[in-house]
Amino acid sequence: MKPDGKVVLLGDMNVGKTSLLHRYMERRFQDTISTVGGAFYLKQWGPYNISIWDTAGREQFHGLGSMYCRGAAAVILTYDVNNLQSLIELEDRFLALTDTASTDCIFAIVGNKVDLTNEYALLLETEEENRPEKPVTGCISTKVQKQVHLDDAVALYKKILKYKMLDEKDVPAAEKMCFETSAKTGYKVDYLFETIFDMVVPIILRQQAEGPLQTVEITNYKSAKRTKSGCCA
Amino acid sequence: MATGEPGSPMREGTVLPKEQAGLCPTDTGGDEPSAGPEEQEELLAPQSNGPVRVADGQGDAQEEPSDKELSDSASTDNTLEDSSEFGRPLGVGVCEPGGPPTTHRDEDVTAASWRARRKHVFVLSEAGKPIYSRYGNEEALSSTMGVMMALVSFIQSGDNAIRSIYSDDQKLVFVQQGPLVLVSVSRTLQSEQQLRQELLYVYYQILSMLTQVSITRIFERKKNYDLRRLLAGSEKILDRLLNLVESDPGFLLGAVRCLPLPASLRDTLGTLLQKAITPNLVFSILVARSQLVTAVQERAVIEECRLEPTDLHLLLNLIGASSAFQAGEIWTPICLPRFNPDGYFYAYISYLDAECTVCLVLLSTDKESFYAVSDCKRRVEEAMRTQGSLQVLSGGLQSPSYGVGQVGVPDLRHFLYKPLDIPENYRQLPQFTSPELEGPYCSEEEQHRLFDLYHYLHSRIHSTSRPLRLIYHVAEKETLLAWVTSKFELYTCFSPLVTKAGAINVLTKLLRWIKKEEDRLFIRYPPKYSTTPNPGKGTKGGRPDGAENGFFAGL
Repeated sequence: MKPDGKVVLLGDMNVGKTSLLHRYMERRFQDTISTVGGAFYLKQWGPYNISIWDTAGREQFHGLGSMYCRGAAAVILTYDVNNLQSLIELEDRFLALTDTASTDCIFAIVGNKVDLTNEYALLLETEEENRPEKPVTGCISTKVQKQVHLDDAVALYKKILKYKMLDEKDVPAAEKMCFETSAKTGYKVDYLFETIFDMVVPIILRQQAEGPLQTVEITNYKSAKRTKSGCCA
Repeated sequence: MATGEPGSPMREGTVLPKEQAGLCPTDTGGDEPSAGPEEQEELLAPQSNGPVRVADGQGDAQEEPSDKELSDSASTDNTLEDSSEFGRPLGVGVCEPGGPPTTHRDEDVTAASWRARRKHVFVLSEAGKPIYSRYGNEEALSSTMGVMMALVSFIQSGDNAIRSIYSDDQKLVFVQQGPLVLVSVSRTLQSEQQLRQELLYVYYQILSMLTQVSITRIFERKKNYDLRRLLAGSEKILDRLLNLVESDPGFLLGAVRCLPLPASLRDTLGTLLQKAITPNLVFSILVARSQLVTAVQERAVIEECRLEPTDLHLLLNLIGASSAFQAGEIWTPICLPRFNPDGYFYAYISYLDAECTVCLVLLSTDKESFYAVSDCKRRVEEAMRTQGSLQVLSGGLQSPSYGVGQVGVPDLRHFLYKPLDIPENYRQLPQFTSPELEGPYCSEEEQHRLFDLYHYLHSRIHSTSRPLRLIYHVAEKETLLAWVTSKFELYTCFSPLVTKAGAINVLTKLLRWIKKEEDRLFIRYPPKYSTTPNPGKGTKGGRPDGAENGFFAGL
């Protein structure tokens, strides 16, 4: 059974990629240990089987990123809101890996671990409907000043569009594609994945319409790689 | 099976041509600490102002090798650029609020408790750069590691190689492998040979992640490369390995432990794996809670090389130390260093039950074969469900092994048994069996004590200078007997009041019991399959993917 569409999680180690996915798939948070290589998951989304690749953030596995990204319909670039370097790494180290993704691939930028910031309580008040499963109790301890703000993620999103030579008008707006989540509390995790999956469906339909092309893509993909994203226009 | 045997792991070229006072160059067997600490102090005095305990060493000794080795540090290679040295935030982010510093990494290296550790293990590069420390942060230890490297280079400058230092209560063992230096500082009863073996396990585990050729190449390009960049996140794998090495006799014996199973069930599972194949699949391994259920090898591969216990241990350790939950299927490059230290296999790893106890590992040489291999798993899983064998396996794991009580001899507390009479044409994996540890060996301390004794007996049996076939050892709280013949290697532990005649009597009964149970305890006839119609003849079977790997693709 071949999956219909592919979503890839990328980002530096320790930003919480596995935890995000674990929260979404298994509805719980647990301490994870470093991922090796990549881990593959299948998610039933309506009539479609969406595959999700959770990749290792360790530099050791860096070169594999483009393999996992091949033909991806969506890439979730993940950073830690308390670690500026993890955002910088997205541009420096991970963006180039997405060259092998599908030409109409969508990008999401996700800042995880917001529960550790002092802004978190504020966020919860303003976002009543996205209340986490249970409030964080016993964690009154030191919250820290957030290091990376949503604006920084938006700026990165625009850089990505430039890198991909995409027009802002043809792609989802930056504000819509930058998320802040907490895998620990579940804050906006479902929202993130469900938004992405909804956006991936049209891409799946397009890929299926181009049916035979998709099988060619895997072997012949190198020649197709840098063609302009004409299909989006 | 070089790893389990004495003498083989070290290249003989590193043996000192002439003896140095205090620096024990040859295999003294480890029974008698050969040199007193005074002599060493004398020798070390000009090098560092610290005495035998290298942790006291001062940083200035570090400069000496550095000046010589780091002269090309202004390397222009960008990809290997060590941009921020130790300053690179390793992505740790913010500590959990309120959470205590749980890892050994945060340990204070100046504290007495750090020095009192049973066994330290350090890995450093030839340039003296810290790569790994079992306890404490490597950065905090950079001067200590500098001293270690100074020792190594000082001895090297006299065309010699340092092998070990003995002090009153600890042994320091040095192993140099390519550009890496590994050091063990141990208070255990283990012999130098055994400590050396453990360091090699650490080295091989590093290779399993990076391969030998890539490590060599990295350090050729840049001598002072900080290898922690590539190993970041892998510390837990090495931590876990070092704990396992001390608690799992499989590492000592160079053998794997099989899950006790009725032979018919094991055969059925083997047949299942034999059928679920795809081109370029070379190994199919079914594991339940770190114990081997069955392993199938590609026929062409098995002819040239068999799966080494070391490689299987390292593979299982890597899996155990990596995150996974049941729904996920892992696809990762991995090197089996004893099979081929320079190539990668692609490992497919998936748990078959919700509790993540039954694990299927499929190794392929084809990087792109994930979906085909994943399909093999689906077939295995379905067949196992229809047969009901999955339930049997995960159900049987309530008691993963067996109690010594099953043997039915009261004085026997524990044993390790490794059969040696394996028909060569089957290229069998070396295996061993041992019962679960029961009282009085329930606490970690008691277990360490028992394994110390096993290590001691093992070192006497395998002493290179004076090997023994039989040893009867009366210890403080138990009596042990070790016996090696052409057919088996056996270590037994009795209650302290057993008599010599009584112990022999127990042995007879134990051997009879093992003979009766051997179909259940061991894999007798390992199954094989052929996945590739024309496996490249002469190219060592299904040769794993060459230097093409995750890391180099990124260079």
